[in-house]
Amino acid sequence: MMSEFLKEMKSGKWIAVLVCVAAFALLPIVLQEGYLSLVNEMLILAVAACGLNLMMGYAGMVSFGPAGLYAVGAYTTGLILVYTKIPFWLALAAGPIMAGVVSVVVGWFCVRLTHVYFSLLTLAFSQIIHTILFEWYDFTRGDDGIVDIPVPSFLSSITHYYYFSLVAICVCLFVLWKIVNSPFGKTLQALRENPERTEFIGINVRRYQLAVFIISGVFLGIAGALYCGFNKNVFPDFADMMKSTEMIVVCLMGGIYNFLGPVVGSVVYMFLDKLISSNTHYWPLVLGCVIIALLIFMRGGVVGFVSEKLAPRGEERG
Amino acid sequence: MILRVEKLKKTFGGLTAVNDVSFDLMEGELSSIIGPNGAGKTTLFNLLTGHIRPDEGRILFKERDITGFQPDRVCRQGIGRSFQRTNIFPKLTVFENVQVAILSIRRKSRSLFSTASRMLVGETMEILESIGLAEKRNVTAGLLAHGDQRLLEIGITLGTNPELVFLDEPTAGMSPEESWKAVELVQRLARERNLTLLFIEHDMEVVFGISEKVRVMHLGSILAEGTPEAVRADEEVQRIYLAEET
Repeated sequence: MMSEFLKEMKSGKWIAVLVCVAAFALLPIVLQEGYLSLVNEMLILAVAACGLNLMMGYAGMVSFGPAGLYAVGAYTTGLILVYTKIPFWLALAAGPIMAGVVSVVVGWFCVRLTHVYFSLLTLAFSQIIHTILFEWYDFTRGDDGIVDIPVPSFLSSITHYYYFSLVAICVCLFVLWKIVNSPFGKTLQALRENPERTEFIGINVRRYQLAVFIISGVFLGIAGALYCGFNKNVFPDFADMMKSTEMIVVCLMGGIYNFLGPVVGSVVYMFLDKLISSNTHYWPLVLGCVIIALLIFMRGGVVGFVSEKLAPRGEERG
Repeated sequence: MILRVEKLKKTFGGLTAVNDVSFDLMEGELSSIIGPNGAGKTTLFNLLTGHIRPDEGRILFKERDITGFQPDRVCRQGIGRSFQRTNIFPKLTVFENVQVAILSIRRKSRSLFSTASRMLVGETMEILESIGLAEKRNVTAGLLAHGDQRLLEIGITLGTNPELVFLDEPTAGMSPEESWKAVELVQRLARERNLTLLFIEHDMEVVFGISEKVRVMHLGSILAEGTPEAVRADEEVQRIYLAEET
């Protein structure tokens, strides 16, 4: 399957991918632990954003509440590790599974609506999840969050966890890449472009929308579970609006019509975040301005912008 | 007989959009439904393709009752549709536009991990060649000229491998020259693939040239049915069209 994967990409492209992965793998040698954990956080955000973008960029369904499913993943793993003796790996796998199960229920309602109504319903569900995590003190410890989650000793060093999540993230991106290039992925794009027409090539639109909602939810759950193991603490604000906004902005920043757009977006986002918050307390203000600039001047995000500048003009015109 | 429509009726509030419409389509027939604006033609199409449910009546396709089927299921029975507005997938390439239709009808759309770009290439190219867009296969569909977009729309419909195709004003927005080319193409495709075609047209001239049978719709009902010559000579039809022009 791997050789097939490599054949599909133009040789230049896969060399670039290999170089990137190699560069990330070498980072622990050159970076201090503080920066390394920042990169780790960035990679986990990239998985969440790519999962969201499968639904937003490819299927054209804009969710305002991805953080809800992300938090379900994080809390499931965290709660299992704190309350039970279930091994770490199973707890880690339970996060995305639970996020998938919640996605089935949430998605079942959401795909009945379209456009802004769909988006608002996803927001409502993520607010419900946030409220449950916040208010159910006996179980989720509310505002205090779940702290000191036990992680196997060999994963407690930052470098070791970094390698672990780097592998997990590469696998996730590979699977997502296969999905977007599959018949299912193409059908999602058709659905985004023209749901009415898609129906009349024999596609049950709602069923496909529900499927992508669940798949996207599973990847958000993976990101949540990975972050739980990384951070060893989980808090209700994992599910709040700010976190959802962060994921949406990451997608927009990188470019929603490009597979690696959200990855580039998360690099740019983390960089801006740290750069700006180390100089001023007004990060959200700057973030707001960045969003406005993106939506007005760079609809295709960084990747869209760059590839437009690089592409020879009018070549694709029919 | 490929399609039988029995006493179809649809009302919206107090307005009866389609009233007691019955007709049969023979296999391989090229026929049309014409009528002034507001006659109920598009509503009839939406009933036949499952976009809206009839209040009364039945639709039988190859002797199977398909009344109340959802559009995706209607499509899978072997009924294709082209739309009045250009209705393609603008950001996909020309190739992908046709390919998604074929993937769907072959029940391959659910495949998550196979690579789409290598699937059903021959089948897709065959359709692109027959509509004359093979050379533009890698062009983003939204960048095609209007006439080519209409051709592509027909290509998508062919991708669903239909036996019966409803064409909703296929020449709308085309120049007269483009119209004739499109009509000739559709005629040729129908012959090659043994399709049954039903046109909806506002413009009488286009369809009269190719229809074997014309039905005239007025105020939700079928008013006249027959050969183009007979319909053209019908006094009541003349009255409706004249009344509309004045």
